[in-house]
Amino acid sequence: MAFYKTEKTRKMSNTKLLIAAILMLFVFQVSAKDYNISDFGAKADGITVNTRTIQRAIDYISEHEGGRLVFAPGNYVTGSIYVKSDVTLHLEYGATILGSTNPFDYVKDPKVKWMSMIFAINQENIGITGKGTINGRGFITANNMVNYIHRGIYKDDLKYDRPRETNRPENIYFRECTNVIITDITLRDPASWNQTYDQCKNLYVDGIYVDSKSYWNNDGIDIVDCDGVVLKNSYFDAADDVLCFKSHDANSICQNVVVENCVGRSSANGLKFGTVSRGGFRNFKIKNITIFDTFRSAITFAAVDGGLIENIEVDSVRSINTGNVIFLRIGDRWSKGKKPSMKNITISNVYAEVPIGKPDIGYNYEGPIEDNPRNISPASIVGLPGYRIENVKLKNIEIVYPGAGNPLYAYRGTSTEELDSIPEMRDRYPEFSQWKELPAWGFYVRHADGVEFENVKLVADKKDYRPSIVIDDVKGTTFKDVIFDEPESEGKEQIIHSRSSDVTIK
Amino acid sequence: MNKLKSIILLFVLFCFLNGSAKDYNASIFGIKSNGTTLNTTAIQKAIDYIHEEGGGHLNFYVGRYLTGTIELKSDVQIILHEGAILVGSTNIYDYNIEMPNTALVYAKNADNISITGLGVIDGQGRDVAYSLIDQVHKGIIQDELKYDRPARRRPKGIYLRECKNVEISGITIKNTAEWVQMYDQCENLKIDKITVDSKAFWNNDGLDIVDCKNVLVTNSFIDSSDDAICFKSHDATKMCENVEVRNCVARSSASGIKFGTVTRGGYKNFKIINNKVYDTYRSAITIATPDGGEIENILVDSLNAYNTGNAVYLRIGQRNTQNGTGSMNNITIQNLYAEIPATKPDEGYEYEGPIEDLPRNISPASIVGLPGYDISNVTLRNIEIVYPGGSNPKYAYCGTKPADLDGIPEMAEKYPEFSQFKELPAWGFYVRHVKNLTFENVKLTAKDSEYRPAIVFDDVKGANLSGMQYSIPGKLKKLIKYKSTGIILK
Amino acid sequence: MTKYKLFIFSLFFILTLNLSAKDYKASLFGVKSDGVTLNTGSIQYAIDYISENGGGRLIFYVGRYLTGSFYLKPNVTIQLEEGAVLVGFHSVYDYFKLNDTNALILADKAENIGITGKGVIEGNGKAVLKSIKEQIQKGYLEENETQAKPALIYFDGCKNVTLNGVIMRNACSDVQVYTGCSNLKINKITVKSSVLPESKGLVLSDCDGFSLSDSFFEASGEELSSAGNSKNVSVTNTINSKGNKLNATK
Repeated sequence: MAFYKTEKTRKMSNTKLLIAAILMLFVFQVSAKDYNISDFGAKADGITVNTRTIQRAIDYISEHEGGRLVFAPGNYVTGSIYVKSDVTLHLEYGATILGSTNPFDYVKDPKVKWMSMIFAINQENIGITGKGTINGRGFITANNMVNYIHRGIYKDDLKYDRPRETNRPENIYFRECTNVIITDITLRDPASWNQTYDQCKNLYVDGIYVDSKSYWNNDGIDIVDCDGVVLKNSYFDAADDVLCFKSHDANSICQNVVVENCVGRSSANGLKFGTVSRGGFRNFKIKNITIFDTFRSAITFAAVDGGLIENIEVDSVRSINTGNVIFLRIGDRWSKGKKPSMKNITISNVYAEVPIGKPDIGYNYEGPIEDNPRNISPASIVGLPGYRIENVKLKNIEIVYPGAGNPLYAYRGTSTEELDSIPEMRDRYPEFSQWKELPAWGFYVRHADGVEFENVKLVADKKDYRPSIVIDDVKGTTFKDVIFDEPESEGKEQIIHSRSSDVTIK
Repeated sequence: MNKLKSIILLFVLFCFLNGSAKDYNASIFGIKSNGTTLNTTAIQKAIDYIHEEGGGHLNFYVGRYLTGTIELKSDVQIILHEGAILVGSTNIYDYNIEMPNTALVYAKNADNISITGLGVIDGQGRDVAYSLIDQVHKGIIQDELKYDRPARRRPKGIYLRECKNVEISGITIKNTAEWVQMYDQCENLKIDKITVDSKAFWNNDGLDIVDCKNVLVTNSFIDSSDDAICFKSHDATKMCENVEVRNCVARSSASGIKFGTVTRGGYKNFKIINNKVYDTYRSAITIATPDGGEIENILVDSLNAYNTGNAVYLRIGQRNTQNGTGSMNNITIQNLYAEIPATKPDEGYEYEGPIEDLPRNISPASIVGLPGYDISNVTLRNIEIVYPGGSNPKYAYCGTKPADLDGIPEMAEKYPEFSQFKELPAWGFYVRHVKNLTFENVKLTAKDSEYRPAIVFDDVKGANLSGMQYSIPGKLKKLIKYKSTGIILK
Repeated sequence: MTKYKLFIFSLFFILTLNLSAKDYKASLFGVKSDGVTLNTGSIQYAIDYISENGGGRLIFYVGRYLTGSFYLKPNVTIQLEEGAVLVGFHSVYDYFKLNDTNALILADKAENIGITGKGVIEGNGKAVLKSIKEQIQKGYLEENETQAKPALIYFDGCKNVTLNGVIMRNACSDVQVYTGCSNLKINKITVKSSVLPESKGLVLSDCDGFSLSDSFFEASGEELSSAGNSKNVSVTNTINSKGNKLNATK
């Protein structure tokens, strides 16, 4: 049998192998010795700043063959600490690591140039486990930082009246670490992004709960240029992008990633590749995710900084009450001569509902209301002339839109001139709403090669003045079993194509 | 006595009146108990409404009620039921900082008001103070930050001015940014069974009664980082009079019971009966008149002081002389027991009293007037003070030779504090510029040897000492008289 | 042209002014006087900031300021006003080492530094020793007591050092250690450190230009201890708790 594996099943077993390998590491770590943080003199009183005591405990364990540093129930205040090789922080149920609210208790690491509560740089076999909590208390810390900036003793230009992300502590920042395990913990209220794993190898995240809407730029999780990642069974609620993959380094790539059984809520995007996308993203298998009450797209893949995006499989997505469902975009923002690309993207088994109102209303740090007279935007697949998106397969998709596009409110027709009036926006920040009004209510595809729609159902609850699908400058499009459901639309031409070749409708 | 009786009668009358008053629940006015909704305007509306409707009870039940400054009006009774907490906003701009005395609860010229019940007023004063300091550092609010803290605009817990028929009882008041409660020129004030926990920031006096008439403070517990029970006189034309303090316990990182420091008008007819002071940095009782006020008819009876830096400090000073120099007459202290430690009595408390730049050994109780301004008619009866002894003349020395005694500065203009003279020449009592002094059954104990005598009299005119007892290991020098006349020992 | 020159000149003037020493209140940096907030991060940030901005004094007014080890940097003076107490944190892990010497206040080859005022540096020695003993007993601290005990002050290779007026108390180890410093002036200080045994008042080695005057030493170890070759040492009008005059030869 093994000799007859298809390309697809081989990929599958690779993933399984990856999970198995990482799981094995986990088992190894569990067998190491346990140390209680209180034995090192740390106080769980919620007042004492334990930074140096925790650091000393980590150093000691790392120097003595490793083990788990166990936090019993209680509140442990700390500033910046560095996790070292062979050390796992284990937070028992009821144990909380509280971030100090004094910004001066944090280090801006000279290598990563970012502030964080828990750092690890260049370490291996490390982890944070247990049902306890890491609470950055970031709202207070960030506001204290604002105060110091106003007093003139800390330099920051307060762009948008907030300190830069790098001048506010994250909860976790791991860089160039190998064999990292993050399981079961709750991560809440950072002052900046919540957790960054940057150029790490073999990262295993399982069963974490993330509540991240205490201040601006509160991402849920940021996985940057990592190789070998399993992220599963986790829940995220974030003010900014929630399941976020980035590529900061043009010479690195974020690859071999499995995401399974995750639920996300965001006042930005649900599953996001980018925005910073210098190296790129390769070999992702994303299965069974739910995105809800999310301001922007459930899925955004952006290749805008010269990086590549290829071999991405997304299977089983439930997207309820999100501003947009799918947004694939090539841009030319910080490419510096590199050629961005996107190819071999499969998205299947999607059920999505897009609301007429703001999907994240009432959440802390709601997404910004834009200056857009626009009707509800369609899902979009938009390359650039010369940088085309290749081989996108959309299978078993149902998207329920509110429809009701009103041409008196905002209008974009489908004549060649009107389609050409849609700017390319090469160097802009990529966002599904960036063009304001688009000429379709279901899908808008531009500058792409090989787009396959199979068993796709697009529903508009109310009559919309626009057609369902517009394709512009697309080579090779197949529509198989594509159904439109819009009131009063008898005889309406739902697919408009312009300058496109090889359009097949089955 | 008659006056006191009439006060009590009046209060009984109020209680009766209150019984028929109308009850309002806070929620009627949209006041929220969640601890995050800022209720300032809603609470103020409630008070205004009840006031205009002829008075009544405003009931707060269990919950956290966040608020900025609220102003009490006549005939409004605030009831904080058990578990109800009036929580001060941490934003300085939520307070009436334009007023000279900003406070969480404010009233002026109100009649028949009260705050009662078993609830709490929590000023969140440390955070309020930090909020104010932050505004100063940003240059939005001007303050020179003397001692690195704002001199003005820190909200008190309660400030009542020229109010009549006031009752504060049952409640706990804690964590204010400045003095906890100040009653200024009020009449008929009753404070009963309150708990004060105030170590949140600097100048956290426990209770300040300023130029009030007819005051009864009973059964209360006060723990504060500055003076605990404090009588002041800010107005040279007013006085603090007819005051009784009974059955109270005080802890302070300054003085336990204090008359002063600001003493312009003065104090008359006080009864301080059956109180306790412990873990207190300065004196168990300080009576000072540095600003021209007159002090008359003060009875201190049954005062127990444990672990207190000093027992008694009576002082006339000349800090401000535009109203002349003050006087102190007819002071009786009886049934006093005090234990003075060798170590810092308030160690470990938040906002500990400041360590002074003093090479000094343990200071004696002191009664110190000024040349030409004697403290007169002082009686000390049934007194026991236990000192640690163990003074080291190499560390700090003050002998009893004329040059030594004359070398002790008068310090007329200085802030009056028992430790102001640094080393004093006695370990038990130092008395200077006093007329008609009676010591009756006074027992002085030093647990370790002393290079100093027990008592030094300097410029004392007429003293009767009877039933004196001394206990000290090693050599005892009892009494050094210097420039004194009419000293009779029995 | 002249206007331009004037402009440059005034700019230069402003620059020089800005670079001259300034006074900074501790609260500017979020330092808290409540005796419970661990201020290490804020104090170190303040010192670094002042040093990088032309130097000056970091002023502590009355209050208790909890801190772990910090470094003094060039052109920075800690001014402890009367009633200000710098309190050493109880945990041994909050102390740093410089050349194998642990201390609350460290300085490494810094010039123009000082600690002045009538305030107090409180070593909290008993509590620190308790933490050390506990950690040694548990096996987490792999050095002996002597190695782990922090001094109050350790300055190495510093130039133009001023200590004036301060009270230093209850060191866990020695009170002051100065090695390889030059032009060190100590005046009117009070040392009281006899709660733990063998606490030396002042340890001097390989210094050039040391003067100590008008001070009081009560220490459980030697009041003044000289190791190595120090030059130009003068001690005047300084006594111990027995009233004996201390001198340079001891």
